[in-house]
Amino acid sequence: MALISAPRRGPVRRGAFRRGLRMGPTHLVLLVCGLLWLFPFLWTLGSSLKSPDGFFSQGLDPIPKDVHPGNYAAAWSEASFGRFFLNTVLIAGGTVVVTLAATSMAGYVLARTRFPGRRIAIGLISVTMFLPHGYTIIPIFDIIRRLGLLNSLWSVIIVQSSSGLVFATFLFMGYFSTMDRELEDAARVDGAGFHQTFWRVMLPLSGPMLATVGLFTCISAWNSFFIPLVFTLSRPDLHTLSVGMYSFLGQNSTDWTLLCAGSVITLIPIIVVFLLLQRYFVNGLAGAVKQ
Amino acid sequence: MHLIDTARPPGATAPPGRALPQRAKNPGPWQRIRAARWSYLYLAPLMVLVLTFVVYPIVGSLVYTFYQWNGIGDPSDFVGLANFRQIAHDHIFWNAVAHTFVYAIVVVPVQLVLALVLALVLNNKKLRFSSFYRTLFFLPVVTSPAVVGVVVQLMLSNFGDSLNGWLLDAHIIHAPVDWLGNPHIALGIIILVGIWQTLGYNLVYFLAGLQTIPEEINEAAKIDGAGRVRAFVHITVPMLRSVGVMIVILAFIGSFQIFDLVQVLTDGGPYFGTEVVNTYIYHLAFGGNSAAAVEPNVGLASAASFFYGLMLIVFSVLQVLIFRSIAKRRAAGRA
Repeated sequence: MALISAPRRGPVRRGAFRRGLRMGPTHLVLLVCGLLWLFPFLWTLGSSLKSPDGFFSQGLDPIPKDVHPGNYAAAWSEASFGRFFLNTVLIAGGTVVVTLAATSMAGYVLARTRFPGRRIAIGLISVTMFLPHGYTIIPIFDIIRRLGLLNSLWSVIIVQSSSGLVFATFLFMGYFSTMDRELEDAARVDGAGFHQTFWRVMLPLSGPMLATVGLFTCISAWNSFFIPLVFTLSRPDLHTLSVGMYSFLGQNSTDWTLLCAGSVITLIPIIVVFLLLQRYFVNGLAGAVKQ
Repeated sequence: MHLIDTARPPGATAPPGRALPQRAKNPGPWQRIRAARWSYLYLAPLMVLVLTFVVYPIVGSLVYTFYQWNGIGDPSDFVGLANFRQIAHDHIFWNAVAHTFVYAIVVVPVQLVLALVLALVLNNKKLRFSSFYRTLFFLPVVTSPAVVGVVVQLMLSNFGDSLNGWLLDAHIIHAPVDWLGNPHIALGIIILVGIWQTLGYNLVYFLAGLQTIPEEINEAAKIDGAGRVRAFVHITVPMLRSVGVMIVILAFIGSFQIFDLVQVLTDGGPYFGTEVVNTYIYHLAFGGNSAAAVEPNVGLASAASFFYGLMLIVFSVLQVLIFRSIAKRRAAGRA
């Protein structure tokens, strides 16, 4: 088989090879830079498997001499990273659901229906895009306190959701406004009402945007530090992974390997989710700038 | 359910499915609002959340600035403009502003240049595995700042085969460096980490911008004998301008809001040496290890954040105006 196919494939392969050779130095530079870029990840992964002694003697060496997988079990149960993990999943999941529901519905009606006050609504949310965010945490804290939601996971979910609403609404508006109007007309001719048109036709068709906004929201909720820190200050059992890591660092200045295992526990899920959906995410992000 | 009623009104002669009903032609405002009731319902959740947690806080924070308030109960101790006066005279605040500006003014240009160079390399159609490299450089963006802070702290710790050990062996330094204990070095570390963490965003933005440039233009330039540099200066740069302006503004806005990295790396310390505006506000409002505020002072924190918010608005407007005048001058020069 090799004998027969070799001559035919020869020139093509040689071309590809030559091209690869010309690109060789570029690849080499990119790989070396990439490895340096990823060094903190590799070091953390390696250190999470070191023994406490190994951690102190090996310093910046990312490869553990003796492998200690027990760090993960200890971080999960003793340092309550398991609890933080659950909190983080609940918060990230809740935030994604609230954000997707509110922004897809609003994006749809703002893009596809006409009603009095539509321009005012768009103007209002546009203005908030240009106002500096993050400095309003105190009044938000006060509202949450008045609503009696302080020190609950709900407070984190609601506040975290509201931080990305406007951007997500614009993404949905942009997406729905490019969709073919005939789809809606066809649905209506088939007897679909307002609700059916949205839930049965438009929403399923907006899959890529749902994935983009969902992943965007999920990443920021998973990694969020400020909001869960502020709203769970006096309830360590409600800490997220990020906040838990931070307070763990403050309290125990000895369990470095547990901290590294906790870091890996924090990183792996979101990196896996990102790798699975990255195509949508990067395209959505890019689309937002191009507009 | 009957937002747009496709049923023909009695007596209408229009073909089915095309004309709108007669009464929709000149409806009164109340009728139009009634007809759109489902639109309002769909918009309501967003509006409630935005008004409560985005718009009201911006307005509401102004009220607190007039009170001396520790955040418990309702504010009652009216102090007028005293909080603003105190902030304006607080050198820790101005140092925090300076640190934030230093951070932004170093991070943004360095990062944009790096991201643009990398984007140009990765945009090459002949380069294989381009999306693999893109993912690789994007990964820090997906990473929690709290994890970054912890990991960087651990990596810089002074034990074993540490960075200090390597640098001592290589005779680059003569004594171990306290990386996060010296305010000047610590700010540098925060800047480096900031560049590392957010480069991926700008890389993706630039790649998106580069992909809007039609291939034919570059081909034509090549045929006309333009070298790579000339093609870059005369084709890529002008065509990237509008995306580039957007990227610069986004990068500045992001940098001015720096909080997480500083909080987890240095907590604003040592001695406020790396305090940025957001950590300063946080420490004022909620107390903290290194903060001057032993007692939380929400009024003072609100005044600081309102003050800073105003500065950011002025800066954003200035940025837009500068970009606009550059664009105008260019247009005039070309004409």
